[in-house]
Amino acid sequence: MLQAMKIHKSFGNKFNKQEVLKGIDINVDKGEFVSIMGASGSGKTTLLNVLSSIDRVNRGTIIIQGQELTSMKDKQLATFRKHHLGFIFQEYNLLDTLTVKENILLPLSVNNVSKKGANQTFKEVTDELGIYDIRNKYPNELSGGQKQRTSAARAFIHEPSIIFADEPTGALDSKSASDLLDKLNNLNHTRDATIVMVTHDPVAASYSGRVVFIKDGQMYTQLNKGDQTRKTFLKDIMTTQGVLGGVYNEH
Amino acid sequence: MSINRLIWQSLKKNIRSYYLYVFALIFSAALYFAFVTLQFDPALDTMSGTAKGSAGIYTGSVLLIAIVTVFLLYANNLFIKRRSKEIGLFQLIGMTKGKIFRILSIENSVLYAGSIVIGIFLGFAGSKLIKLIFFQITGIDQVAALNFSAKATGQTLLVFLIIYLFIMVMNYLFINRQSVLSLFQIRSKSENVKKMSIMQILIGIIGIGLIMTGYYLSTKLFSGDIDNQLFFAMLSILGSVIIGTYLFFKGSVSFILQLIRKSKAGYLSINNVLSLSSIMFRMKSNAVLLTVITTVSALAIGLLSLTYISYYSMEKSAQQIAPNDFSLTDADDANSFKEELNAEQIEYEETRIDFITVRADITDALESAPSNFNGELENTRIVVVSDQATADINVSPDEAALTGVGGSSSQFLSFQEEGNITLSSQTSTIDAHYIESKERSLLPRIQSLNFPVVVVDDRDYQQLEKSLDPDIQGAFGYEYIGIDIADDDQLSQANAIFQDWDNEEKNPAYSYLESVNQQKQQLGLTMFIVGFLGLTFLITSGCILYFKQMDESEEEKPTYTILRKLGFTQDDLVRGIWYKQLFNFGIPLILGLLHSYFAVKSGWFIFGTEMLTPTVIVMAIYTVLYSIFGVLSVRYYKRVIREAL
Repeated sequence: MLQAMKIHKSFGNKFNKQEVLKGIDINVDKGEFVSIMGASGSGKTTLLNVLSSIDRVNRGTIIIQGQELTSMKDKQLATFRKHHLGFIFQEYNLLDTLTVKENILLPLSVNNVSKKGANQTFKEVTDELGIYDIRNKYPNELSGGQKQRTSAARAFIHEPSIIFADEPTGALDSKSASDLLDKLNNLNHTRDATIVMVTHDPVAASYSGRVVFIKDGQMYTQLNKGDQTRKTFLKDIMTTQGVLGGVYNEH
Repeated sequence: MSINRLIWQSLKKNIRSYYLYVFALIFSAALYFAFVTLQFDPALDTMSGTAKGSAGIYTGSVLLIAIVTVFLLYANNLFIKRRSKEIGLFQLIGMTKGKIFRILSIENSVLYAGSIVIGIFLGFAGSKLIKLIFFQITGIDQVAALNFSAKATGQTLLVFLIIYLFIMVMNYLFINRQSVLSLFQIRSKSENVKKMSIMQILIGIIGIGLIMTGYYLSTKLFSGDIDNQLFFAMLSILGSVIIGTYLFFKGSVSFILQLIRKSKAGYLSINNVLSLSSIMFRMKSNAVLLTVITTVSALAIGLLSLTYISYYSMEKSAQQIAPNDFSLTDADDANSFKEELNAEQIEYEETRIDFITVRADITDALESAPSNFNGELENTRIVVVSDQATADINVSPDEAALTGVGGSSSQFLSFQEEGNITLSSQTSTIDAHYIESKERSLLPRIQSLNFPVVVVDDRDYQQLEKSLDPDIQGAFGYEYIGIDIADDDQLSQANAIFQDWDNEEKNPAYSYLESVNQQKQQLGLTMFIVGFLGLTFLITSGCILYFKQMDESEEEKPTYTILRKLGFTQDDLVRGIWYKQLFNFGIPLILGLLHSYFAVKSGWFIFGTEMLTPTVIVMAIYTVLYSIFGVLSVRYYKRVIREAL
């Protein structure tokens, strides 16, 4: 589904260059729920941005669904995002002036899906996320959890090939957070959706099937959930994070 | 970083982002300077009503200052709010309020001094052009010389210094009033997004209703249904239109857009997202500003149209005053003037018309019953001329022709193309059927009683003449002598002779050329001043809308980021913005144009004889100039969108 090879990304100019990604390889299969973890400054958000075509790489290739993103033009990238990608952000990124329903249906209107079909999918997705009843409210009338679920519904509505989530639980309380992650997990199973999530919260990561740790712009290690329960997986993740942090502290 | 460097840096940054503000500043300075230069120009003394000329320009310059001051204060207010975070930061790192104020003052003074020097320079360079235009439309025969007026420079500097001090006081108050925390929060206040309430729907409907009522009343204003309460009617039109405009922005716009939105059932296209949903909430919070802009635009367009109407109809009005090149009302006077012409060997043609005044019943000749005509329709005074006295009109007995139709009398009475009119002297009555009506006047206004003149067959004329009622005859004799100069090249020479010859002891006499020139000077001056003010207002209000859009685009930047992440291309967004600006600039413009259209329509005939062409010309020019700001704002949006991802 997603293959990224030897991605390099740096910021700044010729004289003051900061290399953020130093040749990362990452593969995501269809239907997978992958978390990317790392300390702040490790480059995880940058990685998500380049994977999701919002930012460009300096070197390396990214292929999603057999299409190479790195060689596409801006316009083609926009079209690609429109059809194949879904986004969930930490700050929800809902449009304040649109109702919940209008926000969610936005990606469909780009793709010229018929109104009837749109309503059908809308009902299904919002029922699953439990926000059908608030469809006519404006974002400023919603709680953080409801906003994030709206954002999630928008990401799922056009059945994208892959969904990118950037710290989706970052601004939520723990109850809403676990609620949302449960829902994401369900959608991952029922709709066979591929999800790539960046987070620094081990609990959030423990909902996914695989966790990739990055450090200083390179892949450090990765953990598979396999048949473990979420609890034991969480323990594993925390241990690894401890090691990761520990090594960092030795510097 | 030293304070000087800080000032220099922020200046550089400001000029780039506020280029339109600097432009507006330069422009106002240039405009004011050119205007004042004209006020002190010696050429102005040659105008007939000297005192009136410079007084008019002086009044204009005061109004100009008023517009410019309000605009600059408003713009400054917008900009200091934009920079509130920066001010808060300075305070946070321990700068005193006094020091910050000093930085702002120095920065502004550099900006002002620079702009005004450039402005005066441009004003000086442009003053020749402006003088040229001025001489052209007032018909003053002078060479537009380029002379630098020290007096004008002094006055410009003084005025802008005072405005600058004003602005400094405002800034001082602003800095002093705000706490550090509130400075950081000023820009983060978001639009109040709420569901449409019943109250708002009501406001929306009332708004549209009030505007409609105002328009309806304005069409009735001079049609006679409102007789004795003209002043009250005008006030209520003004009131209902202005309040209606306010409510329109407050409620109607969102109400209408909400209806459109409802019909889409949540399925919004990108154009809808960018325009409908954002305008719905924003127009409401800018209602006062938009009402002021709309109302004053309407006023500006209306005044411009009316003055242009009178300027445009100038020659027709002059023709009513003086039907021939020279119009005399006494045979002896005519002989003495002809002698003068003969002495200079100027050839001429003479038209001599005898006329009588009779009673007439014009009830059947009118298109509709008039309202505020103070006279009896069945028994009105009318001037009659024999068809023998006119070269081009020839009628059979019991037939007639109307001349001088469509003059200033037409504001109250509109005659049919053909109709019946009953003329009666003391003993005889003639039922005449008039078969044509001409706009051209045969007699000067004072002799025709400012009313159409009836041309009848000579036999009928004789019959009426036998028993005239001496009480109703006009005060300016019974004969008219028109003199047309054969050779156009000699006209101005003849005019000069006429000027020398004419004096107050003689009977009234008019020169066509002189009437045109006089009107040209008066109306030209008015038009020049109104045009100047209108242009200034147009530019300042355009700038204010543009600044508002600048702020709005930056507030909406996160929206663009989201939309671009969702896969909308820059082109998609820019298309949506065009759509949005069509509404943002279009709604106030169309409302302003409609307001002024109805205002002009209700009373244009008092000012001239032709409405449509001058009004359309004025409106078209206004629209084009105004649209420039809309286009500029889209350009700014483009930049914001490009940087959004």
